[in-house]
Amino acid sequence: MLNVLHLRLNKTFLIFLVFLVVIAIWKPIPLIYGLQRGGLYSLIGLPLALILGIVGILNLAHGDFLTLGLYIGYIFFTQLGLDPLISVFPLFIIMFLLAIGIYQISIKYVLKAGELNQLLLTFGISMVIIELIKIIWTTRPRNIYTPYASSSITISNFSIGIYEFLYPIMAIGVLILLQLFLKKTLLGQATRAVGQNPKGAEIVGIDTNKVYLIVFAIAFGIIGIAAGIMLPRTSIFPLSGNAYTLKSFALAAMAGLGNLNGILIGGITLGVVEAVVQSIPGYSGWSDLVFFGVLIIVILIRAYRGSES
Amino acid sequence: MKKILTPLIAIIAIGLLMFLPFYTGAYFLHVVMTILIYMTLSLSWDMMLRTGQLSFGVAGFFGVGAYVSIVSFANFGINPLFSIFLAGGFMAVIAWALGFVVLKLRGIYFAITTLALTTVFSVIIRNTPRLTGGASGKVIPNVIFQGDSSKIYWLILTLALSTILISEIFSRTRIHFAINSIRTDEIVAKSTGINIFKYLIIIFIITAAIQGVTGAVYSQQYGFVSPETTFSLDFLLLPMAMALVGGIYSTWGPVIGAIVLGFASEYLKLIMPYGHLIIYGIIIILIILFLPKGIFGSLKNKIQSSK
Repeated sequence: MLNVLHLRLNKTFLIFLVFLVVIAIWKPIPLIYGLQRGGLYSLIGLPLALILGIVGILNLAHGDFLTLGLYIGYIFFTQLGLDPLISVFPLFIIMFLLAIGIYQISIKYVLKAGELNQLLLTFGISMVIIELIKIIWTTRPRNIYTPYASSSITISNFSIGIYEFLYPIMAIGVLILLQLFLKKTLLGQATRAVGQNPKGAEIVGIDTNKVYLIVFAIAFGIIGIAAGIMLPRTSIFPLSGNAYTLKSFALAAMAGLGNLNGILIGGITLGVVEAVVQSIPGYSGWSDLVFFGVLIIVILIRAYRGSES
Repeated sequence: MKKILTPLIAIIAIGLLMFLPFYTGAYFLHVVMTILIYMTLSLSWDMMLRTGQLSFGVAGFFGVGAYVSIVSFANFGINPLFSIFLAGGFMAVIAWALGFVVLKLRGIYFAITTLALTTVFSVIIRNTPRLTGGASGKVIPNVIFQGDSSKIYWLILTLALSTILISEIFSRTRIHFAINSIRTDEIVAKSTGINIFKYLIIIFIITAAIQGVTGAVYSQQYGFVSPETTFSLDFLLLPMAMALVGGIYSTWGPVIGAIVLGFASEYLKLIMPYGHLIIYGIIIILIILFLPKGIFGSLKNKIQSSK
C-alpha cells in the first residue's frame, strides 16, 4: 500500500506520525474523532484538488454538488429503499454523467478565459444548484435512518461512532484507486502529463479537452461516493455541502497543487486539531479558526520561501 | 464638445439623484439604496483587482466595519455618524497591518487568504459575545437619523459618489500607470523603479476603508448585525458579479453592472418571490459565457471599432 501511495518516509510524513503519536498520548478520544472527521475532509477534498491540480479551475460549486449528491441519495433511499452504501454505485455514475454535461455546456468555454471568469462561472453554477434544490426540496432539513450507522462503542464516558471509521478507510481507498489510475493506466499518465504541462501534452498529441472532461467526470464521481458514504450521518439541507468548499480548498492549498497524498495528511491533521480544540471546555467555538489559521500560516510560509529563492 | 458634455451629464445625473427622495416612493428609494451599497462594494473590489490582486476579503471588511460601527455606538455611546468614520479608520489600520503580510501573496493564494480572513473575523466576533452579542447578533434601538430614509439615502449616495470619484482619480492620475504595470507585468514594473508594494498597500488600505464604511452605513441603516447576515458571502459574490457583468478594470463597468443586476434582481424578486436567484445565477453564467468583457467593455470595443 505504501508503495502505491509513494509515502516514503520523508520529513512531512515523519512529522505527521510524531504528531499523531503525541496526540494519542495526550488526548486519545479527540484523536479518534479527529481521524474520522479528517477522513471525511480528505475524501471530499480529493476531487476538488484533482480538478484544481490538473484542469487549474477552482470549482466554487464543489460543496453544492455534494449537496446535490446527498439529495439524490436521499431519493434513492426513500423512493427505492436503496441502502446508502449501495447507492454509492449509482451515485458515482449519475455524478459522472452530470459532470460530462456540465463540462460540455459551460466549463469548456472558460478554460482559457482566466481565473476570474472561471470562479464566477462556478459561482453562478453554485447559485443555480442551491436555488434549484430549494425549489424542489424546500429548506427543511432531512435525515435518514439506517440501524448500522448509529452503532457505537463506549470507552470510559465517551461514545464513539463505529460507522465514521468508514470515512478514513474510504478516503485511503479512493486515494489508492486514483493513484493507480494516474500511474498505471495510459489515460492516467496522459492526465498527469496535462497537469504538468498542458501545452507540451498537446504537442505530443494528447487531447487535453478529453483529459479535462475525464478529470471532471472522475472528480464528480468521487463527490457522488462521498455523498453516499456520509448520507446516514448527515443532516441534509440546501447548504449541507457548502462549508466543505472552502475547507477542501484549504486542504488543496496546504498540500500544494497536484499533491493528492498531501490531502490525506492535511485533512487528518486538521481534523485532529479541530477535535482537540473542541475538547477543551469553553473554547469549542474557536475550532473553526483551526482550518483557516493553519491555512493562512501554511500559505504564508510557502510564499516567503518562494520569495527567498 | 465632449469636454463640456461629460461634466454636464454628470451634473444633471447627480442633481437627479440628489432630489430622488422628493419624487419617488419609499420602495423605489430603498431599491436604489441597496443598489448603491452594492455598487460601492463592487467598485472597491474592482479597484483592488486593477492591480492584479483578486481579493475575496470584501465581505470580511464589510462585516468588521458594520460591527465596529454598531458596537462603538451601542457599547460606548459614540455618535452613529462618527462611528461610520471610525469604522473606516479601523479598517484602514487593520488593512495596513494585514497588508504587510498578505500583499506578499499573488493570484489564487491571495484570494484564498483573504477569503479565509473573512471566516477568521466572523469566528472572532462569534466568540466574543460580551462585546458583539455572539451568534445571535446585536440590535440597536433606533437606526441612524431616527430612520429618516431621505437622510440615509443622501448618506449612501455620498458614499457611492465619493467611491466613484476615488476610482476616477485612480484611473486618471499617475497611480493608474503604476497599477496597470503591476497587473500586466510585475517584474517589468519592479525593474522600472516602481515601488510596487507602496502602491499595493495604499490601494489595499483605501479599498478596505471603503468596504468598512459601507458595512457601517449598511448596519446603521438596518440597526442590526449578526455573524450570519453581516458576513454573508453575498456581500462578496454579488459585487463580484456586478463588476464582471458591467466590465472589470473600469469605473463605469461596476456602476453599470450594479444598476443592471440590481434592478434585475429586484424585478425578479417581485415576479418570482421564490427561486428568483436561479435566474440571477443563469444570467451570470450566460454573461460569462457569451459576454466575457462585460457590458461596458463590449460597448467600448464596439465604439472603438466603429470609429
